[in-house]
Amino acid sequence: MKKMTKPTNNNLDEMQELQLLHIERNGCWMTFWGLLAVIIIQTITTPGNFRILAGEWIVFMCQALYLSTSCMRRGIWDRHFRPNLRTNMLASGLAGLACGIIFGLVSYMRYGKLIGSLATAVLIFIFVFLCTIIALSFSAALYKKRRRRMEEEGED
Amino acid sequence: MPRNLSIKAARAQLDMTQKELAERTGVSRQTINAIEQGTYNPTIRLCRSICRVLGKTLDELFWEEEEEDNEKNDETNK
Repeated sequence: MKKMTKPTNNNLDEMQELQLLHIERNGCWMTFWGLLAVIIIQTITTPGNFRILAGEWIVFMCQALYLSTSCMRRGIWDRHFRPNLRTNMLASGLAGLACGIIFGLVSYMRYGKLIGSLATAVLIFIFVFLCTIIALSFSAALYKKRRRRMEEEGED
Repeated sequence: MPRNLSIKAARAQLDMTQKELAERTGVSRQTINAIEQGTYNPTIRLCRSICRVLGKTLDELFWEEEEEDNEKNDETNK
């Protein structure tokens, strides 16, 4: 029977295309969180030896950068969260807390000094919190600018 | 998403199998089956293609009656 659609090189129809995108999305996030888990585990188990993490770190950062820039170019922020100060503060706080705990733990495992490890944890928390809030605020400003531009482009 | 019985009925009128409809619209049989089962929401392009093959309008195959929608809304609000 003759097909009504134009022949293409794509073996998939639209539903299979969506299913493949869904599979690829899951694979992408499994890789993302898997890499992060590997980085955290290796940071804790082999403290001080950051060279062995270079490969994972580069791949992780490239993926994060690609996801962030692609989303911003298309005017997408997040499914659930809005780019406001409250959300940015919360995300930065969580990032700072996670890094503070990890590096505090690493410091304690390496030097065995509680006060020094606590000081490290607090310093890392403050540093990561500040870096993340600056990065998020900057990204949010770029996102809002992009959204405004896209809204204007759509007007007749 | 409710089952699409209109497509099944239109196919039956033409004595057409899911496989034949799939071949003529350029998709897999699984996709036609998923549309009829209501598990896949096709693009407007595929909807139009299906309508052309079955000789029906978009309304006849894909329009859901407002009463059905209201009934469903009432049920979910209970």
